[in-house]
Formats: sequence, C-alpha cells, structure tokens
Amino acid sequence: MNTQHVFERHEQFQQVIDSISKRFTSYGYQRITTAAFQNYNLYNNVNRSINQNEMIKVIDFTGEVLVLRPDVTIPITLELANTIETLSEELRFYYIQEVFRQSFERDKNIGRTQAGVEYFCETSPQADAEVIALACHVLKDLGLKDIKIEIGNEAFFSLLVKDLAVSKSELNQLKELIQSKNVAELTPYLETLPIDESVSEVIQLLPLLYGNPDEVFAKVEEVNFSIETEMVIKHIKKVVSLLKIYELGKHLTIDLGLINHMDYYSGIIFQGYVSQFGKPVLMGGRYDRLGDVFGTKLPAIGFACEIESIVQALDSRGFCPTSPEMFVIFNEEHTTDAIQLTTLLRNNGYNVRSCKKRYDWIDMNNKNVIIEFSPLMNVIINDSKRVPFTENEQVINYIRETKESRQ
Amino acid sequence: MTLLTVALAKGRIAEKSLLLFKSAGVHFSSYDKSSRKLVIIDDSNSIKLILVKAVDVPTYVEKGAADIGVIGKDILLEDPRDIYELLDLGIGNCKFAVAGLPETEIGHQSFLTVASKYPTVSKRHFDRKGIRTDIIKLNGSVELAPLIGLADVIVDIVETGSTLKENGLVVLENIVDISARLIVNKASYAIKNEIIKQFISDLTTVLEVRV
Repeated sequence: MNTQHVFERHEQFQQVIDSISKRFTSYGYQRITTAAFQNYNLYNNVNRSINQNEMIKVIDFTGEVLVLRPDVTIPITLELANTIETLSEELRFYYIQEVFRQSFERDKNIGRTQAGVEYFCETSPQADAEVIALACHVLKDLGLKDIKIEIGNEAFFSLLVKDLAVSKSELNQLKELIQSKNVAELTPYLETLPIDESVSEVIQLLPLLYGNPDEVFAKVEEVNFSIETEMVIKHIKKVVSLLKIYELGKHLTIDLGLINHMDYYSGIIFQGYVSQFGKPVLMGGRYDRLGDVFGTKLPAIGFACEIESIVQALDSRGFCPTSPEMFVIFNEEHTTDAIQLTTLLRNNGYNVRSCKKRYDWIDMNNKNVIIEFSPLMNVIINDSKRVPFTENEQVINYIRETKESRQ
Repeated sequence: MTLLTVALAKGRIAEKSLLLFKSAGVHFSSYDKSSRKLVIIDDSNSIKLILVKAVDVPTYVEKGAADIGVIGKDILLEDPRDIYELLDLGIGNCKFAVAGLPETEIGHQSFLTVASKYPTVSKRHFDRKGIRTDIIKLNGSVELAPLIGLADVIVDIVETGSTLKENGLVVLENIVDISARLIVNKASYAIKNEIIKQFISDLTTVLEVRV
C-alpha cells in the first residue's frame, strides 16, 4: 500500500482551507487570530452562547479558570470593544482556527477547525446580502453540489412573542415546536396558552413560511403583520433581490420559522446545506447587540463553517487527485549535483522533493516530473518521455518550456 | 434513479405506513413481510425504502442517511433529535402511562422508584410533579418490576392494557398520547424541498379523507 495515501486527508483539509482563505481574501477580509486560552467569565457574561458543559476548563497558577477557545466571535468582539470606542468605519476579519468543545456524542473530536468571517458594520440589505453571497461562493468554490442557503430573521419570532404573557419554559416549548415544524402539536399547544387569536394564527403559519423565496413572499402577502414585522420582511426581500443580482437566487430558501439557539443573534440569520451531508455545513447571522455586553456598540454580521464537516461532505464525492510533483532522484556519488540542482529549482519557484530512491508511487502519477541522476545517464522523465541532460541549466530550460507549452 | 430514501421501523408500523403510502399513490409491490430484505424500491423507481430497528430511525434521518422516516412519538420524546417533525400519521396510537399494583398511591409520595424502558420520559414526568425518583432502566418485561419489588411503579407505552391486566397491574396515571410521526432531515428538506413537499401533501390528502 502507498503510505502517501494515509495523509491524503490532511492534504484535502489544507486544500479546503486554501480555497476558503482565497475566497475570504477576495471579499477584502483580513486574517486574524485569537488566543487559545480565554477567560471563563467572558463566556458566562454572554448569555446562552456556549453550553458550559461543552467547554474545556483549565486552572492557571493563580487559581483563575480559563477555557480553551470554544468560539472565535466572542473574543474578537471583546478585543475590538477594548480597542475602539465607536465603530467609525467598517471592519472585515476572517479566521481559520481550532475551537474546542466537548460533545455528548462520543464520536466527535473535541477540537474542530472553524473558518469564518466577522464583518463589523451597520445593518443594511447590501452588507447582509454580501456576506450571504460570500458564504455561497465559499461552498461553490469547493465544488459542493446542491447548495442551499436558508435565510430567516431572528426578529421575526421574537417580535411575535414579545408581548406574550408566557413563561420561559412555555416559550422554549414554543420555540422547539416551531424549530421542528411540528404543526400537529403546535396548534393544540397554542390553545393552552393565553395568546390572542390573531397572534396565534400567525405563529401557526411560521413552520409553513418555508421554501422558494417568491412563493414564501406571496404567502406572506396574505397575512396581517405588525408594522415592525413588515419591516423585517421588507429587509429580507431586499436581501434576496440583491442576491439575485449576484446570480445566487437558485440557492436560496426562505425559512421564517428559523430560530438559532445562539441567543446573541439579532437580525438576519442563515445556514448552508449541501447534498450528502445531513447537517448545516455553515451557519451565521447578524449579532448587533453582542458588543453591548462589553460596553461598545459593534453591529456585525458573520458566519462560520467547520472544515471537518466540509471534508466529510466532499469525501462522499470522491477525493480530487493530488497535483503533480517534481522529484530529484540520486545516489551517493551524485549528492553534490543533486543538491545543487534541487536548490536551483527551488529558488526558481518550483516545489521539489529529493529522494535517494525511485519509489513505485512516484511513477504512478505520470504527471510527476522525475529528474534522475544515474551512473549511465542523467535523465528527465516527464509524461512518459525521457530527456537526457548534462547541465543544470538544461533542466531549468526544459521545465520552463514544457510548462509554457502546457499553458 | 431514486429521489428519496425513507426509513421505516420493521414490523407493524411499516405495514401501516405502506398502506398509507399506497393510498397516496406510492406502491411497493415487491414488499413481502416475511422477507428479510432491508432495501425495497417502489414501483415508479423513485423512492427507496430502508427497514431498520425502530430506535435507529431518528439516527438515520438526523444523519441524512434517510431523507424521511416514520417513527413513534415515544422514541422522539425519549431521545429528541434535530429534525423536522412534519406530520402526525395517526397510526400506532397508544399512550405513555404510569402503571403499578392497584393499591399504589402516587399522589402523596415524595419519592418513587420507577422502572422503565424510557428513563428520560419518566424522569421528566415526575420532575414536573415535584416527585424525586430513582429511575431503573430496563430493556424489556418492565411489568415484572413492581411484582417482584424492584420498583414502585413503571412508565411504559400502553396500547390496549392487556399486558398490564394479565400481570395484575393497572394504569395509575396517563402521561401523554403517542402516535407515529413523519420526520424529515433538515438538509433534505432544503435541498429536495419540492419532492418532499409533494410527498407530504399527498399523504395529508389521504389523512384528511380518513378523518
């Protein structure tokens, strides 16, 4: 067996990261990093963001409790709140970092690599649409199929239940029924709550306001919403019309019953699905109020995806073969020549591996360029052709020419 | 090419579901209840049926290995999953109940030993009533527990009550009604929305006629 295959997964992992970074950069985002150890209290201050049981806790020598970075958004927001007083301009950051959460599912790793963006800016349909477009482009670049981005708005549900005289546990039950689109139980449950007939009717509709944007918007026309809720719908409509200009309309699904469990979301929320993967590969939304926790107004929108999930979604589509490589093969007596040539090639921008043995797997990919020093003759093997050489310059010229002719 | 994968629990629920599907125009003529085949394709070659153990149906659906599943509400209550629960199929009707020996008083107790195949449901029920419990998880023959003094009461699904009766037990308290539900994977619902919506609306029509 070719031992090189064992590490193919790592290569694929890196390919995914490269593709995502490239796309983030193309939208003008700058890469940043956050510290691995974060203050435990930081996560207690932000209500219902990350389950305390999921965090990995560490105690330092002063007795202070730290956690291994369970998310990136909250530390970034804290750092920004400590640095600036007001958001006078827009800021775009991206990160690719491991986050650590202990899951109840034993088959899950504690460390998972998250790639995400944080776009600090005032809410506007343009900004929201651009971030969703970026999310969609990230998935398209990776060659994932059947991409669907579900768009909802956190405010939709919270405005509807804002003035209801229901307890917290009743509200959670209501959320659960809407999240699972359980119409069969939602209607009888609403009857047990002290809710106006008119409000109850709208809540019952939530699970059904799902699907193709035009169809959902048509259904919404027939419903009487409050002025505030109408504004929310108008915003979503505008975002969708902008995304159509990006030519991403066919990837959109509207879900007005979408409720995220992260409490800090405050406006538009969205999640991405691809074929052959049963869970969202990407999640995000607007979190305009998170900065308030740290005393600074920092409106922002962002999303994150897990590289492990994407690699898994890609796996079922088959791994893209490794790109061709260049090898310099030599024996003891040609050590000097080989090192000199390898250095020359590397300095000319080629990626080269030097080996003392011509392994079978090197020949298996006939796109590989093999340069072999041997007592009889030095030879370049490329595309099943053998070209002899004596001088290093010949090799450089030959490679340059074949590369040009390929382009 | 198959468009949808549907997971069904082997046994009675599967047969009742297939009857429903048949009325909705989806035929699985190659299905034979004595066969051990686990994968069956429908006559129009568009729906793949997989037959699995009941408790595994939500797992298949949550992971996306099946787009749709039919499963009893008892299993969803015991082990909640991140899925859509789109229809009450009105089959496999029964209820969760507390049962025990006829003279058992549970109203005034502050502590009970409860045996059940459904520890989560049992605990939640008694927590709500403010009764502390020691839950003993059993995998079968739960009715035995009060008879030999392993537990004060049991929590189980009750259909006709004949098993209880034969063992000298009675229903002490009803917890909640149960029936089979149609569950759907969230990613499938987004990606195959048109097909799934059509499937559901066909089933809804059948269910409405029945009522």
